[in-house]
Amino acid sequence: MAAETGNGPALLEVDGVVKRFGGIDAVNGAGFTVERQSVTALIGPNGAGKTTLFNLVTGFAQADRGSVRFDGEEVAGMPSYAIARRGMVRTFQLARALAAMPVLDNMMLAAPEQPGERLRNVLLRPRAVRAREREVHEQALELLEVFGLGEKADDYAGTLSGGQRKLLELARALMARPRMLLLDEPMAGINPTLGRRLLDHIQRLRSEEGMTFLFVEHDMEVVMNHSDRVVVMAEGRVIASGEPHEVRSDPAVVDAYLGSPA
Amino acid sequence: MTELLPLAVSFEAFTDVGFWSGVLVTAGIYTVVALGLQLNVGYTGIVNFGQAGFMAVGGYTMAILVLEAGFSFWLALPLAVLATMAFGVLIGLPALRLRADYFAIVTLAMAEVVRLVAQNAQGLTGGNKGLYCEFEGVNQTCFDDAWKSLSNPFLDWVEGFWPDVDPLFPLLLVVWGTVVIGIFALNYIQRTPWGRVLRAIREDEDAARALGKNTLLYELQSLAISAMFGALAGFFLALFLTTIQPDDYEPIVTFYAFGVLVLGGLASYKGVAIGAILLWTLLEGMRFVELPITEERTAALRFALVGLVLILLMAFRPQGLFGKKEEMVLGR
Repeated sequence: MAAETGNGPALLEVDGVVKRFGGIDAVNGAGFTVERQSVTALIGPNGAGKTTLFNLVTGFAQADRGSVRFDGEEVAGMPSYAIARRGMVRTFQLARALAAMPVLDNMMLAAPEQPGERLRNVLLRPRAVRAREREVHEQALELLEVFGLGEKADDYAGTLSGGQRKLLELARALMARPRMLLLDEPMAGINPTLGRRLLDHIQRLRSEEGMTFLFVEHDMEVVMNHSDRVVVMAEGRVIASGEPHEVRSDPAVVDAYLGSPA
Repeated sequence: MTELLPLAVSFEAFTDVGFWSGVLVTAGIYTVVALGLQLNVGYTGIVNFGQAGFMAVGGYTMAILVLEAGFSFWLALPLAVLATMAFGVLIGLPALRLRADYFAIVTLAMAEVVRLVAQNAQGLTGGNKGLYCEFEGVNQTCFDDAWKSLSNPFLDWVEGFWPDVDPLFPLLLVVWGTVVIGIFALNYIQRTPWGRVLRAIREDEDAARALGKNTLLYELQSLAISAMFGALAGFFLALFLTTIQPDDYEPIVTFYAFGVLVLGGLASYKGVAIGAILLWTLLEGMRFVELPITEERTAALRFALVGLVLILLMAFRPQGLFGKKEEMVLGR
């Protein structure tokens, strides 16, 4: 996978981020960058602080110190919804399907620029609201088709299998038209066929729509073959980053995470 | 009859129009209260235990504006609604940052604080005596003068072709008219993208935030609209009782409204209306069931029976009469 990166400053720049819970340093001065239109993997042993870092970057937790810049703008301290609106959207380790809502509503919810999400417009501009709803409805159905969930559109999201929920969460995140997607273990709990489709889709979104990806993953085969860059965390710090083959042979990484080949 | 049967119903009282008009007005008022709760609990997932407080703020603000500040009743109504909504936002701003169960406790405390202030700020609220009329020499002003000057001629006109009409008829019309309009309006906004965001917050607030929704803003709106329904119910209760007293706004009012919600089912607005009629028919209708026990015991038994009905409902139809089972099961 060729790395088509390096045009302009990095999309995401994380620097010296610290987060303490009680007396424990969950993240202790982590820093890394994610280049535009890259697929970057975030790896590390359990407890390394990957999910906490995800939370800090997306505003779901507030860092004690450090800076998070998205597209040149400081976003540390911003509320999570504001960061999402700037184009950095995340998914969760355990898929957060809105269970008692139909799959289609899950999708349509995520669409941006729906004037009807303001009560004032619901009352004063009902036609603009309906027009946008029609657009969004069509986009949602198309995207569900792509992810093989077309037939489930009218079912409650709670009736989907675990893997389908993961796909729904990714499709839903795409409805938000993000510039950057942060995926927390997107492959976990998905059967290999679906996983294959998900990876293909990520590659296509990157090359066709210029989207940027950062994902947490434990499957080394996926990490090595499907990412341009790898960031390795251990004990709250970034201990290495670079192209997959560089990282794989880095002694610190082997020591902390990969383990020496048998 | 009653001497022979251990259990009998006095049909004479059962057909007492005045009595049942009162029951229907009460049921209507509780529907209005519970419509706001349905928006909060059934559609936004925020457990508001403070609805009685919003009723009190609405009712007292209206009466104080009319009696103390000399506002016209018709101007005092919208002002009191706005004041109650603003109060809801004021409470929500800090409290909605808490976890759901703590939010519930804070709203319950809020309602009690409102009631205790009403009880003790005697200069403004009349303390335990409450508010009804003010006397200035021979002139008497009551907060419902303007209402009476409209409803009494209307009642006279109706009596022209319906001589037996109950004096509560005008209030009954206004209360249930509000219920019908309220159900339509709430169902309408529930089906919009705005309503979809609310449901998403009910399902998973973090997921909604991750998709760029300012969840606090929506919760505040939900609470403010609920407070509006609380204020309206406060007005109706004041007109029904022709007085505003702290005792009428005890927490039990909120919990009756929750009983209505459980009966009617979560996430259904029309269920609220049916639930309210059922609950109050059951509670009040029990008065006519003659049992071979003392009256106090019958009174206690009324509540025990309503409790039993709610328990049976929870056991055999947890989603309530009109709630959707899928939303109950999948929501968890």
